[in-house]
Amino acid sequence: METQIRSKSFEAFAEAAETLANPIVQEWKEKGGKVVGYFCTAVPDEIITAAGLLPFRMRATGSTSTEESDAFYSSINCSFPRHCFNSALIGEFKFLDGVICVNSCDHVRRIYDNWKRFVPIDFIEVMSFPRKTGPDQVEWYRQELQMIRDKLAEQFGVQITDDALWKAIKTHNETRRLQKKLYELRKQERPPITGAETLAVMVAGTAMPKEKYNAMLRELLDELSGKEGTGTHRARVMIVGGILDDPAYVKVIEDQGGLVVTDSLCFGTRIMWVQVDENASDPISALSQYYVADRPTCPRTYGEHDTRTGYVEDMAREFNVDGIIGERLMFCDSWTVEHYMLSQDLKVDGIPFLKLDREYVTGGIGQLRTRVQAFLETMGR
Amino acid sequence: MTIGGCDVGSATGKAVVMKDGEIVSYVIIPSTTKPEVTARTVMDQAIEQAGLKSIEDLDYIVGTGYGRLKVPFASENISEITCHARGAQWLSPSVRTVVDIGGQDCKVMSLDDKGKVLEFVMNDRCAAGTGRFFEAMARVLDCGLEGLSELSLRGKNPAPITSQCSVFAESEVVTLVNEGVELADIVAGLHASIASRLNSMVRKVGLVEDVALTGGCAKNEGLAKALEEKLGVAVKRLPKDPQIAGAIGAALIAKEKANGQQ
Amino acid sequence: MDPKDEQRLARVFEEIATYGLYEEALTASPGELGHIHLPLVRNVLRQHRETVRCVEEGIPYAASYFTDAPEIFTAMDLHWYHLIAQSFGGGGENIHMMDDLEGVDKLAVANDVCTLLRLALYYLDAGVLPMPTVLVALNEPCDGVIGLHEALRRHKEWRHLPVFTPDPPYFSDDRSIEYFADELKRMVEFLTKHTGKTLDTGRLREVVEETNKQYALWVEYDELRRSVPCPHGYKLAMAPFSLVQTAGAGDPEHTQWYSDLVADAEMRIQQNRPEVPNQKIRLLWFDVQPIWFDSLAPWLEAEWGAIVVLCMFGYAPYTQIDTSTEDSMFSGLAKRNLIDPPMVRQARGVADNFLSDIARIVKDYSIDVVVWPGHMGHKDGAASVSLMREACRDLGVAFLTIGVDQFDNRYTTIDQMKDRMSQFFTAMGLG
Repeated sequence: METQIRSKSFEAFAEAAETLANPIVQEWKEKGGKVVGYFCTAVPDEIITAAGLLPFRMRATGSTSTEESDAFYSSINCSFPRHCFNSALIGEFKFLDGVICVNSCDHVRRIYDNWKRFVPIDFIEVMSFPRKTGPDQVEWYRQELQMIRDKLAEQFGVQITDDALWKAIKTHNETRRLQKKLYELRKQERPPITGAETLAVMVAGTAMPKEKYNAMLRELLDELSGKEGTGTHRARVMIVGGILDDPAYVKVIEDQGGLVVTDSLCFGTRIMWVQVDENASDPISALSQYYVADRPTCPRTYGEHDTRTGYVEDMAREFNVDGIIGERLMFCDSWTVEHYMLSQDLKVDGIPFLKLDREYVTGGIGQLRTRVQAFLETMGR
Repeated sequence: MTIGGCDVGSATGKAVVMKDGEIVSYVIIPSTTKPEVTARTVMDQAIEQAGLKSIEDLDYIVGTGYGRLKVPFASENISEITCHARGAQWLSPSVRTVVDIGGQDCKVMSLDDKGKVLEFVMNDRCAAGTGRFFEAMARVLDCGLEGLSELSLRGKNPAPITSQCSVFAESEVVTLVNEGVELADIVAGLHASIASRLNSMVRKVGLVEDVALTGGCAKNEGLAKALEEKLGVAVKRLPKDPQIAGAIGAALIAKEKANGQQ
Repeated sequence: MDPKDEQRLARVFEEIATYGLYEEALTASPGELGHIHLPLVRNVLRQHRETVRCVEEGIPYAASYFTDAPEIFTAMDLHWYHLIAQSFGGGGENIHMMDDLEGVDKLAVANDVCTLLRLALYYLDAGVLPMPTVLVALNEPCDGVIGLHEALRRHKEWRHLPVFTPDPPYFSDDRSIEYFADELKRMVEFLTKHTGKTLDTGRLREVVEETNKQYALWVEYDELRRSVPCPHGYKLAMAPFSLVQTAGAGDPEHTQWYSDLVADAEMRIQQNRPEVPNQKIRLLWFDVQPIWFDSLAPWLEAEWGAIVVLCMFGYAPYTQIDTSTEDSMFSGLAKRNLIDPPMVRQARGVADNFLSDIARIVKDYSIDVVVWPGHMGHKDGAASVSLMREACRDLGVAFLTIGVDQFDNRYTTIDQMKDRMSQFFTAMGLG
């Protein structure tokens, strides 16, 4: 990845974003470590860390086709699970010792059904994540988390004590704090890091042990603090959407002059803007409270649209954003209706908004460029 | 000040030379496979027609269109969305909604009274409603593009064409021909179905009169009439060749840039 | 009536007029099955008139769904209407369909979202959805339905409404049933708070016991449809749903209808006089019957002797509810509304829910072809097609998927469907 950043940590982060089993993951495995993949940010990776395992957020980085998975998925299904399942079928995920799924969306939840029948793996589970954020739902999910804790402990022959959980929570909270600090640097007029680079850093955070990641991220923050960016841009832009894990996509936007300074994304602020409460009575309750109710929601959760719009507008204000880009993967019901509503909200509040449809594997760059360029031009930039 | 606008599309290349707020010359040529060659050729022809000696006689040039990144002599490039809107509005100041039908895409823009784009919607994912689609239909029906327009205007009972995809629409047309349906009705049906799609796009952006058509397909009267029926409002016919609207817009922006206004 | 309310009830008034004509026609010449069809028509009229009455007299009523325990609403004497079904109301012809679909095309929502949901979004914007006192929103079985209800709740004209959403767990075990039972209890608290209507256990028992009888008769009816030939055609396959899963569920008058339906089926079997003669192919239409089915199913019957023995909405694996205590009733209702009802039953959870149904139905109903219509809105179903195909292969039954829009036959035209099915039947050596 082209960059002005000199930090060795960043090099490792960029590599992690461009691969699946990056060198750090490979080293972990060579030393006898185990890796558990998970789909969706609703899965508390703290529990996986507390079990002494490496949590790995599932992506299909590097996938070039859905030839194998086409037999299982249809042309009206989202390209993200199609590529993920294809990668699974051709053996790209052999490094995983387990997978945890959740009923996140209609497309991804079927990975569980297909994977368990057709891809050999020692451990595969699915959890039921609530659709509301009330105390009864927090209690339901607390029970789900307790069950997955027990299942992980049994499968991997480990004890997952409350202490281990608290330790993991603290470590993951530290990750969140450091990532938030990184974002704060982008508030300045000339941020020292681009949106594409930031996405690489965020993706890397889901692909290596958190303690090591935290140390590396601190090193990167040292280099960047007090620095100013050298590039020029026409406008400050925010991206709102779901699973976007490809820095190359963000780079196309930024190459047109739309510097991405913040976001509401699955690999962005939504996973780190808020902390898990370290003062709760027990760690599983703390995790349930955070994952169901406290953290910023996505449209999979019902009844929170107004809160989400507020979150987006507050973020836009804090980061002095000129315009917002809403992206969605084709065939995604959740995000298309969300953007339909968000565009109405933003219109009322006079914030320029561009909707983009994309496929998981970045293509059609000419078309993307045209739309982004036109958007920047309509903003008068 | 003499300025140039160069619109390098997938099907045709257009160039416009303007001086003192007037169009001095314009040229439209079929595109070659190399955008930079198309750009140079069409610009050279426009310069010659303007009575100028060389490209250096132009104070500023803006490139636009699908091949805009490959216009080597352009000082900068602007999206065709912005350019078509500006161009259409300069040609007809009352225009507030532009429907541009190009070689491989179609787009709808809503603009303010200065020709600035407020919102836009694009279909560049499939051929339905683009120049390619009409070319294919003209081939199947063996009638040429002007023929399509004439036939459509004569159709009294437009045959319903239900296929959303242009490839399937082609088969549907062949079936209808074999069933002996009047050619005029078939073509009227085709235009009606395209107009329906365009209507949807217009509604997504919001219909504000006056509405204008730009792009090569704008010269198809049959399409213009079909669109008027669907929209329920008259479509303003532009006073100059609507195909050069993008190049005009590019030239206008070139002027502003040269004057340091942007 | 406030002109805004008139506008909101415009489609309801139209349906009342249309169904009024059906009622007249059926009364004048009932034919053999008049006594079966007439109560269905009257039920639609009764529900619509009740909606109008509630608006006129300012009586509280709800927008709700068949998965929200209609028994509870009857017991609370709280009328409700089925919001998402506004496009095809009582299953009748929507004369505005073409215009409605054009209206849908103009929404700034991608056309890969289920057309049923986009229609509802369009009706919301066009102001032709009756405005209830409370909204019981739906969050299952699919993603799109959540977006629709989010759009409803934030709409400037609907914002003031109190909203409750039962949260559907992903699983079907006892724990999930208990959780959903608690959600239903919370729903009752919500309804009481905002409408003043209360739930009396005795009254609930009455209603549930009556529906128990009706469901038992429905199960009997389905068993009769196992006969070869099948006693009734495609329309009656789905009919039992409409009396026991709509407003007014548990009405004792309906029990007679179920008995009559069973009696008619029995008679036809005894006399070997099925409603549809010359049956050759037995189909499972594994989805709701599409809005344009009248253009396809009769042709299937006439051209291929292909009879829709069962569809998703006709399949009744409903268990009886134990009415001894309030808790047992809520557990039973939770099961009946989370695990038993059509579409939600299959699509809400893991793919096994599709597969176990296919296995049971194929064996019990002597099915020749399982048809997964492949509605464009069923994204989870689309990702389960290979699993369904494999299940059918194991069962030795033919499997056909078409790729349709159950609400818009411009997506795949009737002719294209007929072609596809004809080629399939020929290739499979059926009919």
